[in-house]
Amino acid sequence: MKIPTFQQDATVKLYQHYINRVKRTVKTLPWRDRDDVLMEINSHIHEGMQKANETQSETEALQLILDKLGKPEVVFKPLVAERKLKQATITFNPLHVMKALALNISNGFIYLVFSLLYLLQLTFIFMVGAKLVYPDQVGLFFKNGNFHLLGIAAFDVRERQGLEEVLGNWFIPVMLVATVLSYLLTTLLLRLKRKK
Amino acid sequence: MYFIYICPVDSEFVNKWKSQVKKGTLTFIILNLLKKQEYYGYDLIEQIRQHTAMEVAEGTLYPLLNRLKNDGLISSKWVEQASGIPRKYYALADEGRRSLTQMQHFWEDLENAIKHITEK
Repeated sequence: MKIPTFQQDATVKLYQHYINRVKRTVKTLPWRDRDDVLMEINSHIHEGMQKANETQSETEALQLILDKLGKPEVVFKPLVAERKLKQATITFNPLHVMKALALNISNGFIYLVFSLLYLLQLTFIFMVGAKLVYPDQVGLFFKNGNFHLLGIAAFDVRERQGLEEVLGNWFIPVMLVATVLSYLLTTLLLRLKRKK
Repeated sequence: MYFIYICPVDSEFVNKWKSQVKKGTLTFIILNLLKKQEYYGYDLIEQIRQHTAMEVAEGTLYPLLNRLKNDGLISSKWVEQASGIPRKYYALADEGRRSLTQMQHFWEDLENAIKHITEK
């Protein structure tokens, strides 16, 4: 990226400092989006300097342009939050999803709901762990052919209530598949929400 | 002898209201400007200032343009310049043209309604 030409060292420093702040703010974006934002800000600064008032010093002119642009951390947050959400719902990458939700939580209650939905998936993972520790007591229990409980039930309780564990050795694989499926489903819902 | 001069400064309430109206109409203004010709960010800010005497929070314009682009209302392209620093030009997309027509109708209805109310 070609940067604007400045005559004074102080102006170069000021420019670099601002651009670095922009870089830090948008660093979580894919490189193409990152470059796009940087190039546009660079262009804005260049055009501003061309039209700067001649009575101002170079540094004053740049400072005025940057002041009008505002703090990068504040100004570009919505942009980062929005693009991050798009990236998260396209890639299904849990790390992107987490970052996107964290950035968007201040944008509405619905993102808090999505965070809770994702947290719910930990339940299935937790069940796998519990099954490994208490293999005889953890399972999917049916009573008279209908779903009754996903969790832990001691022997005496099972006998008293007539509960039957239905998954057996399939318990762990089924829980893992359930985790993946509910993750995909929640992320697809998030994608729909974003497109709305 | 002293005179007490009360300066007609807008109250905090009016200032807040003004900023809400500005925020609400900015998209409408941008789409209308882009209807006539393509603009790059810096030029668009100047146009808004000239036409509306509105001070735009410049930094917030870029995320807004990005949103309009994601929604398919406008398109953008980089155009090389002699300076070696390209400009990103924005243009109204077909979807934007359709939305703008609807917005225009709404605006006219609102304008009439407000005229009607304020005349009474």
